[in-house]
Amino acid sequence: MNYHIIMKDEFDGFIKKLAKKMKVCAPVAKGHNNFAFEEVTSAGEIALSYIPTILPPKKYFMPQREKMLDFDLTEGKPKDAANLEAPEMAIFGVHTCDLAGIQCLNMVFSEKPRDYNYILRKEKIFIIGLECNGYCDGHASCALVGSHYPNGGYDLFFTDLGDKFILHVGTQKGEELVEKMGLAKASPADMSALDRVREGKKHAFQNEIGVDPKKLPEIFAKGMDSKVWKDLGERCVSCGNCTNVCPTCYCFDMADTINLDMKTGSRNRAWDSCQFETFASVAGGENFRHERAERQRHRFYRKFKYPLDKFYRSFCTGCGRCTRTCMAKINLKDTLKALAAEHK
Amino acid sequence: MKTEKKSVQIAAKPKVAFFDFASCEGCQLQITNLGEGLLDILGAIDVVEFREAISEKWDKDYDVVLIEGSIGDHHAEERLKKIRARAKVLIAYGACACTGGVNGMKNSFELDEIRASVYGKDYKLFDSTATKAVHQVVKVDYSINGCPIYAPELVEVLKCALRGLPYTVPDNPVCSECKLNENVCMYERGVSCLGPWTKAGCNSWCVNNGNICYGCRGEVKNPAKNANDVISKYNLKPELIKAKFDMYNKCKEADNNGNRK
Repeated sequence: MNYHIIMKDEFDGFIKKLAKKMKVCAPVAKGHNNFAFEEVTSAGEIALSYIPTILPPKKYFMPQREKMLDFDLTEGKPKDAANLEAPEMAIFGVHTCDLAGIQCLNMVFSEKPRDYNYILRKEKIFIIGLECNGYCDGHASCALVGSHYPNGGYDLFFTDLGDKFILHVGTQKGEELVEKMGLAKASPADMSALDRVREGKKHAFQNEIGVDPKKLPEIFAKGMDSKVWKDLGERCVSCGNCTNVCPTCYCFDMADTINLDMKTGSRNRAWDSCQFETFASVAGGENFRHERAERQRHRFYRKFKYPLDKFYRSFCTGCGRCTRTCMAKINLKDTLKALAAEHK
Repeated sequence: MKTEKKSVQIAAKPKVAFFDFASCEGCQLQITNLGEGLLDILGAIDVVEFREAISEKWDKDYDVVLIEGSIGDHHAEERLKKIRARAKVLIAYGACACTGGVNGMKNSFELDEIRASVYGKDYKLFDSTATKAVHQVVKVDYSINGCPIYAPELVEVLKCALRGLPYTVPDNPVCSECKLNENVCMYERGVSCLGPWTKAGCNSWCVNNGNICYGCRGEVKNPAKNANDVISKYNLKPELIKAKFDMYNKCKEADNNGNRK
């Protein structure tokens, strides 16, 4: 049980010291109740109380746009050099839903063939979690998937205890940082305060859809032809907001770009979305998921069915971003409830 | 395959000409404003006509022509057809050329009515037709949408043209790029924005700089059939959205949404 304490008035010093060692990113208020992970150098810039950021921290692990390699066709035989840049950095204030998201991505990108760009970055990123003592807003469904409590995936984990934070040390790297910063060990009184926070959460966080999560795989197994999908299809704009903001969506597109010298160039990848009409279209003009209803259904199955079969875990982390961002009011909780209601 | 043939035909340093029709010539300005990037372009092409930048003329065939502006009278139609006849590859650039642009607003009125309002009682002395996008008059090989064009896209299209490769204007809504840029959604700010219905490819240029999307790149091929949820979520009037779209997209009514195969 390795817990330490940092007083609130020491917190600014902590962030400043950390920022001297490496780039530090944390949630920052963007106005209109929107937040984004951005570089900070002091605690004053950080929004400690925030609803999930516009983009999840996955943007640091798999950037929106990323150069994979440079190539040169000048000589007879083409040359290429992989681009494996991964600067050391820390992300502060990652909520448990987003920690779960990173854990999901770790599983995906560690599968063979391994994604070296992702793995290299992951090794260089120091993750500091931050507990939600209560709900961020009514769109979250973290209790449904059990991601409202910390479940690893961090170097350090902060819980607010009023005038101080209690830190759980998750890794060797975390241990070293705590030692260097000279943070005091948590007292038994601090530990009971933490227990009280966790106890309070048991009541504050309740299954948001009133459906046993153990029943979801079965509900989805039977739900392929549900009219729920047709309804979503009629409303969906196909803007791809829901997948772009999802902490576990990882689909990307890759393309080669040549420079104007027509000899050198680069291979780049960018986030793609299964909600786009072009996503599942193939040579010959066929499209496997031509209709919006099919594409929305696919998104839900990629959270609640397929990853359970493959990785034995839900790829919905309950962050609620897809609901918040949807232009057409497509609501994840309502969709699940409607689907479950059909199989009562 | 046609495209391969084109690349063979293009000489080592292709002869490229820029022409303008009914437009503000702002897209040409975007090219001259490219700065150092322009030097890279000039390293790859030989500019033989470009009214805004050089005074030389060219009397032989063109490898590539870039057409700015919409077509609004018979003279322009004839002139465009003649240019097309001399060009191996034709690139329409800018909203006026690609979708008719703001000039398309003329098509919202009875032609004679709008002519009389602009030219007075002797309006018949001034030739004028309904506004057409370039592809509604001649075959277009590449399109660079936008008002003005997004310069990085021009460079990409030019490279495709020089290599004889196809270029597809992205058919996802602007939101898809806007979200990647992590902008606070304009709707969250209480402002209506045409991003959800407009073709991406501009890297959400306007929203990145605090403006809304005006739909200058044209509507996506398959826009949401039922926008009522979007409209009700943000308390919008459908007529407002439609009127906003008309600013840049009036010409699409003359063809299938400005899409060609």
